[in-house]
Amino acid sequence: MFRRILVAYDGSEGARAALRRGIELAKALGAELYTISVEEHLPHYAASISEVKAAKEEIDDYFHTLTKQARDQAAMNGVELETVIRQGHEVETIVTMAKEGSFDLLVIGYHGHSRIFERTMGSTAQSIVRLAPCPVLVAK
Amino acid sequence: MENVWFLAAVWVGLALIATLLAIWFKISTALSEIVVGTVAQFIIGAIVGPAALGSSSAWVSFLAGTGAIVLTFLAGAELDPDVFRVKWKESLVVGLASFGAPFLGAAAAARWLLGWEVGASWLAGVALSTTSVAVVYAVMLELGFNTTEYGKAMLAACFVTDLGTVLALGLIFSPFTLRTLIFVVTCGALFAILPIVTPRFFRRYGGRVSELETKFILLALFAMGGLAIWAGSEAVLPAYVIGMLLAGSVGRDHRLIRRLRTLTFGLLTPFYFIRAGSFVSLPALAAAPMVFVVLFFAKMVSKLAGVFPAVRAFRYAPQEGLYYTLMMSTGLTFGTISALFGLGHGIIDAGQYSHLVATVIGSAVIPTLIANAFFMPVHLRPSELPEAEPVREVPAAAGKEAENV
Repeated sequence: MFRRILVAYDGSEGARAALRRGIELAKALGAELYTISVEEHLPHYAASISEVKAAKEEIDDYFHTLTKQARDQAAMNGVELETVIRQGHEVETIVTMAKEGSFDLLVIGYHGHSRIFERTMGSTAQSIVRLAPCPVLVAK
Repeated sequence: MENVWFLAAVWVGLALIATLLAIWFKISTALSEIVVGTVAQFIIGAIVGPAALGSSSAWVSFLAGTGAIVLTFLAGAELDPDVFRVKWKESLVVGLASFGAPFLGAAAAARWLLGWEVGASWLAGVALSTTSVAVVYAVMLELGFNTTEYGKAMLAACFVTDLGTVLALGLIFSPFTLRTLIFVVTCGALFAILPIVTPRFFRRYGGRVSELETKFILLALFAMGGLAIWAGSEAVLPAYVIGMLLAGSVGRDHRLIRRLRTLTFGLLTPFYFIRAGSFVSLPALAAAPMVFVVLFFAKMVSKLAGVFPAVRAFRYAPQEGLYYTLMMSTGLTFGTISALFGLGHGIIDAGQYSHLVATVIGSAVIPTLIANAFFMPVHLRPSELPEAEPVREVPAAAGKEAENV
């Protein structure tokens, strides 16, 4: 069955549901559990390095808190969680990690942070399901 | 609008709108502020009157000017002296080529293709010679190149290019009188003393709630800016050099830089960028779109002609060289500062200013998109994906964090 599970985790409501499912599955199956959090919000075309650095610090703080909470949540359920934070495009980064990390299940949330964007431009979840190299569980 | 507080509320409201747009569209606040300034002036100017936004009022000009000076100081202070020492030869050659070729190329295009006057053509050369170190830095950071020799050399070269731009802006339009001589001598003396005195002064009296460091830096920037203006030069010239000279000391004081950042981005730069945008004339842009095309291609072609051979001389492969060249072709902050200097000193008119700012913004966006879409040297990116591990037992203890940021 599933031995390496990857959860896409950005702290959104959908991602939290995905994490809960991931922890349950990892516990039931004795599988390795990872989360991937993608920082894709660095300001493009900034006026100064300071602006970029300030944004990076904010993002880092956010994701450090987020991943620590996720690890605590997993630990409370007796599961070891390894968290990875990357920069880049969300879909591309998640799919690449699933591929190159040889994961055999990817768990994602139905909605990310931006529902308006997803409704107008197409859902991140849809793109990941289409491109992922392994089965994808979409949590609601 | 005569009530200063109502006018201030309008400007801060515009800054707030620009910030929200920047968050929604994932672009920088500066770029968003320029666009908001342009659109606001267009709409408010049409409904209330061209002077309603008060872009030329003394207090708006002061806040905007201070924003440009402090922003330029921060840009200089962000130089990494260690990287520059290691890669000085490459940075110098590429950085100078990146400044010199578009400076001459864009000036020639403005003079002979667009028929601009000599002063306006040189100004176009200065405004389009820039490389946006911030645009390059954001891309380097996002892709992980900032930790590689390739990315570090590119960032160091950006500083050389911008130094060339700032020197050209400060000196080309200078009248070269006795005042210029006094300015240059004073600069020389201060530039020699500041890196020695500043860290000691801060160690002795700094770190207090009274923000002595900020006051000291503002004193140096205002005094030298005043002297520069008195000598017929430009205030951002000493600001950038002071920033570079203090990069090894003040630039490494992250708490101080963070406090300066709060002051700069919270209050000053919104006024600078919204004001810069408010002078852009949309009708002028719509009336002569080919001017934008000519200026844009003049910058791109001359950057390619100057930077690509210089980069290749340091044994980079063609794809690496093209990516390097395209990144060095970006521009934003110093381009708008140069254009605004030209407009403020009557070197260019509102139409020419509008085309220069549009070209500068275009050069921030288009080369970055092309470089990342077609020429990214993926093989130079640091490996960051975890290797697939064999199935192992899951311990009960809490996990660890494997960050690759």
